[in-house]
Amino acid sequence: MAFSLFGILAVILETIRPFLPVIGLVIVVEIIFIALVLRRPQRSWRRGLPLALIGGIVVGLLTLALGPWLTSATHADLAGLLDWLALFGAGLAATALSALLLWPPATLFAHKE
Amino acid sequence: MTRRINHSKLELVKPSEDVDTSRRRLLQAAGLGTSVALIGGGLLTSPTAGAIETRANIVIVGAGAAGIAAANRLSRSLDGARITIIDSRQRHIYQPGLTLVATGSWKSNKLIDSNARYLPGSVDWIQDMVVEFDPEANRVATASGQTIDYDFLLVTTGLKLDFDAIEGMSPELIGEQGIGCVYDSPEHAERTWAMIDEFTRSGGTGLFTRAPGGIKCAGAPLKVAMLTEDLARRRGNRDRLAMRYQSPGSGLFSQPDMDAFLKREFPDRGISIDWHHRLKGIEPERKRAIFATADGDQSIDYDFIHVVPPMRAPDALGNSLLAWQQGPFAEDGNWLEVDSHSMQHRRYANVFGAGDCVGTPIGKTAASVKAQVPVAVQNLIEIIAGREPTASYDGYTSCPLITGRGRGILVEFDYELNMVPSFPFISPYREHWVPWVMKDRMLQPAYNAMLRGRI
Repeated sequence: MAFSLFGILAVILETIRPFLPVIGLVIVVEIIFIALVLRRPQRSWRRGLPLALIGGIVVGLLTLALGPWLTSATHADLAGLLDWLALFGAGLAATALSALLLWPPATLFAHKE
Repeated sequence: MTRRINHSKLELVKPSEDVDTSRRRLLQAAGLGTSVALIGGGLLTSPTAGAIETRANIVIVGAGAAGIAAANRLSRSLDGARITIIDSRQRHIYQPGLTLVATGSWKSNKLIDSNARYLPGSVDWIQDMVVEFDPEANRVATASGQTIDYDFLLVTTGLKLDFDAIEGMSPELIGEQGIGCVYDSPEHAERTWAMIDEFTRSGGTGLFTRAPGGIKCAGAPLKVAMLTEDLARRRGNRDRLAMRYQSPGSGLFSQPDMDAFLKREFPDRGISIDWHHRLKGIEPERKRAIFATADGDQSIDYDFIHVVPPMRAPDALGNSLLAWQQGPFAEDGNWLEVDSHSMQHRRYANVFGAGDCVGTPIGKTAASVKAQVPVAVQNLIEIIAGREPTASYDGYTSCPLITGRGRGILVEFDYELNMVPSFPFISPYREHWVPWVMKDRMLQPAYNAMLRGRI
């Protein structure tokens, strides 16, 4: 059965629907961090990048280590390329998302030091 | 016998576009790059652009998955129609999750939702039960004595669990005397988990039954057996369990590749199979089950039994003219007589059906509902618009066949019993972790999107 892009978006929306308030809060906090960074006269987004990347990589590694456990499974349940690709894909996504979210506060932190 | 509809009576104002066209246009307008706007706007609201203007009076009987999904699709696709849904049930049960509750993976509260949350405001909801269908008069009667006329009827009643067909059995016994049943309710699924939990700790003989004929989620009895075996093994108690699967026929699964897999898998895991064993009666106080077999009745003592009752159309539907009057679907469960492709009633052209109540060769799953409802709704709209129905259901059904906690096989097939995988990169022949993740995390959101008529 084919799934349209519209359908996939609908499923994603239903997946995150219970967390929409939390997601909204995170977005507001991120906007505040970004605004605080932008207010600095000599801002440099690059200065926060290493810390954000380290945080993202830590989260990604945790996803690789705990991903199956979070679904009541174990690494022994992973069978074949598909499962490992899915786990590494989840790890990469977690790394990228965490790094992005951490970047503004990390930049702010780096400027304060 | 075929009933013709008088379209002039329906005061069709402007037949213009069908559902697919409006959805396609919406998608084209939105574009691939505007997903955020789509999520924020289009998916959270109810676009009516391109809706057909009509004053048709449409009645939907049953507010289960099919009824609610149809109500949402119809309300978005029609402008001016009077849409009424009849069902006394307030709460909505996510039935595909019952297996996970009964085997200890989920808590029952995860399955319980409310119909009100999904029904569109433009749909009239009569909180009552239909007790009589009169298709000759285009009318249904309810338990409270109301009669409701319709121009078009969509039958989505679901089915009836016929516990009475098993002598000595009643749903109240679930959760007592080693009796479990995954099909009845979230509360009984949780009580079934208590029985399986105890059985996999203390050991004994476990019987896993399967009713003959059409049953909803026919993979569930198999999943319960395999998840119980998996749990016992994880607990180190597998040697203390004797497990016997009781098949009423000579197969385990309708799809032949899966049937062959399971016929290897069960013996490999020490689950013996008794062929042609139909559960006929139960003696709870003696923990004894009676099976009708080719060699006569056979009694088997158990410590745990998973009871799967025969299933049939609800009495109001099964006893009406809408049910199959003869043939295998009449004998099996008095199911609703529809064309297996158009979902239109074969004798009453203004009646359509979807979901567990229909008499089609396969397809009593939520996945079938997902495939049937758009077809039934589009064909109904075609009829309203004075066109020939063109949408066709190919029998699509799906079973995430969970073989143990953490792994499963995503099985999807059609009337021809051919595998029709939605995701070509997921093998329908191999156990993987990904189908388990889908079952555990993704299918409920997909189900909710289906209820809202979005997929």
